[in-house]
Amino acid sequence: MKKISLALRTRRKKNPWPYLLVSPSLFALGIILCYPIYKLIRLSFEKYGLSEIIAGKGTFVGLQNFADTFTDPEFWKILERTIFFTGGMVLVSVVVGAWLAHLMLNMSPILRNILNGVLILVWAMPQLVSISVWRWMFSFNFSIVTAVINSLGFEMDNHNYFVNTFSGFLIIGGCVAWGALPFITISIYAALTQVPKELLEAAEIDGANSRQVFRTIIFPILLPVYIIIISLSVIWDFQVFSHIWIFLDSRPSSEYYTIAIYAFQKSFGLSEYGMGAAISLIMILTLITITGYYLRQMMKMGSE
Amino acid sequence: MRKSSSLFSNISGVIAIILMGFPVYWMITTSFKPKEDILSINPTLIPRSFSLSNYTQAVTKEGFMQALLNSLIVVVFTVVISIFVALFASIAVARMKFRGKQIYIASILIVQMLPLSALLIPLYLLLSKLQLTDKLGGVVLTYIAFVLPFVIWTLRGFLINIPVELEEAGLVDGCTRPQVYRKILFPLMAPGLVATSVFAFIQAWNEFLLAYILLSSQDKATMPIWLAGFTNRFGTDWGPLMAASTLTALPVVIFFSLIQNKIATGVTAGAVKG
Repeated sequence: MKKISLALRTRRKKNPWPYLLVSPSLFALGIILCYPIYKLIRLSFEKYGLSEIIAGKGTFVGLQNFADTFTDPEFWKILERTIFFTGGMVLVSVVVGAWLAHLMLNMSPILRNILNGVLILVWAMPQLVSISVWRWMFSFNFSIVTAVINSLGFEMDNHNYFVNTFSGFLIIGGCVAWGALPFITISIYAALTQVPKELLEAAEIDGANSRQVFRTIIFPILLPVYIIIISLSVIWDFQVFSHIWIFLDSRPSSEYYTIAIYAFQKSFGLSEYGMGAAISLIMILTLITITGYYLRQMMKMGSE
Repeated sequence: MRKSSSLFSNISGVIAIILMGFPVYWMITTSFKPKEDILSINPTLIPRSFSLSNYTQAVTKEGFMQALLNSLIVVVFTVVISIFVALFASIAVARMKFRGKQIYIASILIVQMLPLSALLIPLYLLLSKLQLTDKLGGVVLTYIAFVLPFVIWTLRGFLINIPVELEEAGLVDGCTRPQVYRKILFPLMAPGLVATSVFAFIQAWNEFLLAYILLSSQDKATMPIWLAGFTNRFGTDWGPLMAASTLTALPVVIFFSLIQNKIATGVTAGAVKG
């Protein structure tokens, strides 16, 4: 028994099996992810426009694309806007999600099950479906939101919510947060139910109040879950593209540019693929800096 | 942990149910309203009359059958291939020790973090060089790569919860390695395999951005692209769009409600320690 288990667990020399088993996945990831990353980095140092596409080869321009991007005042405005937009969505969705999850613990079972069902329903909505519904709710004509506002006594027939970028971003962000809330709430709720009862009972016996219980027991145990959820939210919200694109009829005005839209417009709109690549690379590096912690956390879990 | 339910929690719960559920409610009720009720300055919360005309209009709209077929093709190939590839990889990661395993795991986690919209440019250039743009095969290839990291990671999670001792017992009783996999490991993994395939299904069914960039001709459109086509220069036909949205969401809702709790725990599995 011991010998065999040893063979199963620690036969590490000259065993080709693990390599054979991972090679198909390495092949797929290599072609579709690693090569494009390499290509993205190379493109960012090249002038790559329509003529270069036809020739199939870019011209090396050194750091020109980055210099152009960083000296473009428009870029800094867009970066700032993207960070604010992302930060707002992450903050609202994580705070509301965590709050709902805690409330769910104290809800009557019937309400909790209904809420859980609604959250799953929302979670399952395809992105394009949820965007379509939200567009309909805030449409120029016959929208339910305008009707509700009118019924409250304000006169605003045929209001275009997207003329004002603030209300526009508010609606787009609302749609993104609405779609993200179920994942956040259900994950935190699942983690909350895993907090060992013995610890809570012991704390209660020792006379801790609910705030102390949260601070000294629940929060430290849930911290890794919060970190994962916040990091994932940052990654998802930072690159929001389809929402802005579809809400604004596939031609957003420049006040609606976020970094993802900007990179897209530079490359697919203006055919400056080198510039677009440089902007995309800046976007990836920004994200890696922000979410480096998540990666380390996941690595720890993977090595166990 | 559970105290008796509090009034404040229950009131907040009702508000949350109404606010979160309203868009879905509004989509479904709109889809059953006749046109004159939709185009009204005073929309009613409860439909006054019931009509299926939006559905017939959506289903007979140009390209519906083609988009449905395209989506099904893309989904089936993505799911089958990615599950096979991921199954092999997850066995290696969960059960075997090999040099470079740490790097392999790290790279899987890193690529999961990559923002898709940042890779659009090189992906588009790569696939156009391979002459795979405007082909369903090109889309399938990219979808496989994008679902693989998550599928491998989740399958690994299911695998490490199956005790190695079961396999060891099989070996002791004289099974060969392939027999151990076929008779002991795979049956135990079946629920995990179903859950992750449904996940891959949903991802491939819902994806919009890559398909939007890679597929240009109308007869290659997938369901999300077809949905986006309801808005044109003359505006949007809301009734049929809501009917089409309901139809697009339906399969996902059904599958999703089946696997939801498995995936929710899969993402954060092992993060909480008692």
